[in-house]
Amino acid sequence: MSLTAFYALAAFILLFALLAVTTANMVRAALSLAVTFFLIAGLYVLLGSPALAAIQFMVNASAIPIMTLFIIMMTQSRNSPAPKSWQIALGALAAAAALVFFRVAVDHGDSSVASASPAVLGEGLLRAALLPFEVASVLLLLAMVGAIVLARRRAG
Amino acid sequence: MVTLGHFLLLSGLLMAIGLYGVLTRRNLIAVLMSVEILLNAAALAFVSVAAYRDPHLFAGQIFALFIIVVAAAELSIGFAILLNVYRSHGVVESDAISEMRG
Repeated sequence: MSLTAFYALAAFILLFALLAVTTANMVRAALSLAVTFFLIAGLYVLLGSPALAAIQFMVNASAIPIMTLFIIMMTQSRNSPAPKSWQIALGALAAAAALVFFRVAVDHGDSSVASASPAVLGEGLLRAALLPFEVASVLLLLAMVGAIVLARRRAG
Repeated sequence: MVTLGHFLLLSGLLMAIGLYGVLTRRNLIAVLMSVEILLNAAALAFVSVAAYRDPHLFAGQIFALFIIVVAAAELSIGFAILLNVYRSHGVVESDAISEMRG
């Protein structure tokens, strides 16, 4: 795995994620989020799991930004109001606390990556994780029905 | 060489960015987008630990798959609720729905 590819992907991921949480223009934020997720799919390829990269590309980098753009247009929220100063202080404090918490993770020395072929992943999914798989399908069905019921225009 | 620490640090930075977004955004759609960044940071941590430390079982990748599923369900329900907020209040901003304050 090349260091250059990792650093390029990481730099653009952080750049677009920062853009997605700070820009006032909502459409621009949604598109930056799509680019962030697309680049994270590239990281999954580097980590040796092309199946997960494909799922990340189809769901998180394509379907979710489209849904987000639809809801931005339906609620006519073109801009997000600028955060208040106490919100910025609280957010920066929480982000710094999270970084201090995660700093303990940064001294692992090993560097060999095991790649997972889609066939192996699918077999693991349908053998070891069969019950969670079925529960996830029921969850998606419930979410679909729930979203339709919640978003339906009430009569009168 | 790229080590596990690189990936975990990137995941931590993404987590910090998402946390900052959740706390500072005032448009509720943007808050949900920041929650998506948080969930993706967690999934990235799971996948990188699975790739470096777990050569035979792929529990980490399966976990990431379920994170994506749950994130999609959460987002669709969240957007349906925000649509109702827009119908009753006219905006989807956190200041507008604070009338339950005690």
